[in-house]
Amino acid sequence: MRRLGELEAEIMDRLWTWNRPATVREIVDDINRTRPVAYTTVMTVTNILYGKGWLLRGKQGRAWLYTPVRSRAAYAAALMEDGLGESKDRPAALVAFVENMSEEEQAALRRALRNAGRQAKADS
Amino acid sequence: MNAAPALAGYTAAVGFAAPRLLLRAAWPHRAPALAAAVWHALAVSFSIAAALTAYSLAMPAEHLHAGLVGLLHTCGLDVGTGQPDPNTADRLAVGIPAAIGIALVASFTFHVTRARRARTQHREAVDLVGRRSARLCATVLPYDTPAAYCLPGRHPRIVISDAAVRRLTPEQLGAVLEHEKAHIAGRHHLVLAAAEAFYSVFRWLPLARHAREQTALLLEMIADDRALRSHSDEVLATAMYEMAAARTPKGALAAGGPNALIRLKRVLGPRKAPHPALWGSLAAVAATVPLLPLLVACPPGLG
Repeated sequence: MRRLGELEAEIMDRLWTWNRPATVREIVDDINRTRPVAYTTVMTVTNILYGKGWLLRGKQGRAWLYTPVRSRAAYAAALMEDGLGESKDRPAALVAFVENMSEEEQAALRRALRNAGRQAKADS
Repeated sequence: MNAAPALAGYTAAVGFAAPRLLLRAAWPHRAPALAAAVWHALAVSFSIAAALTAYSLAMPAEHLHAGLVGLLHTCGLDVGTGQPDPNTADRLAVGIPAAIGIALVASFTFHVTRARRARTQHREAVDLVGRRSARLCATVLPYDTPAAYCLPGRHPRIVISDAAVRRLTPEQLGAVLEHEKAHIAGRHHLVLAAAEAFYSVFRWLPLARHAREQTALLLEMIADDRALRSHSDEVLATAMYEMAAARTPKGALAAGGPNALIRLKRVLGPRKAPHPALWGSLAAVAATVPLLPLLVACPPGLG
């Protein structure tokens, strides 16, 4: 059995790609092109996503129309900034490759790199 | 004879003088793993010494040197041979050391659990938003600045921006990923949590402040060294520069220190491991320093 998270990702992926409100039926039909999936399963998982605050919904006739709360890029930027420690409530153990630097520090970095390059040339 | 003055002196030396010595030394950046071990050994030594000081202050008349039982007693372990009806001094003598121990353990547990909860939440979101790359063994997020970080733990993730994948050469990308893998494989988040826990209990202590800062930097160096095993100095250094330079500081949140610069200079400079004799004696220091307070409390000559 596929993990719940994977189906969640498939649903979000479609809604972000289509970039318009969609019904559960449309999502099910699209997933069914590649593999069989039950309507009720997708409906349940879509509901979970709505409950978690990833989706908004509005009624059109008898069906619910779902839209992502934010674009993929907006989520990605928020996550990146959180992971890189730029948000205030930084979880202690996310380790960023390099931390933020001031302009002077960047200039010093450039100098160090240039000097190293010159030395390498002098050595060879 | 009461060991309180000697213990108090030792505690102060470890808490205030030792970090200064260690910060001034040149070897820590050449042997970062060993240096991290020494910082943590000092923290353990300080905690034990503080507990023993409290014990001997609260119990000035106590015979501290009655053999093994006395030693255990000194360590706050009441083995049942103590006075049958404990008075206030007795309770204090056991209570304060116990409180120090409990505070440290509770703080460590708190930090580990809080960080784990944050990471789980973050990981679930990353799995929804990002695209898993089997080739890179990483999750790629759409973000216009080259950047990378890792989520350590039982279900680890390396997160990298698509700008990094586009702008870095395959070798640079490999070095960055290797660096992050070293953090995950080394369980560096637990080492950080330990330093963080010690700091939140002894917030005013120079040793705690420096141990926390230095541990973070030394862990980066350990990961750098790991990446340098399979990649050249230049590849790692240029990757670090690409990522550092692209990040524009955002107002007041542009904290961070000169750590990237220290690391870059270290990667580019000659990296010579300390002489085996120095390395050996430092390792011996790291191993014995936690036991020193016991020796101060119960000098073998007097036992």
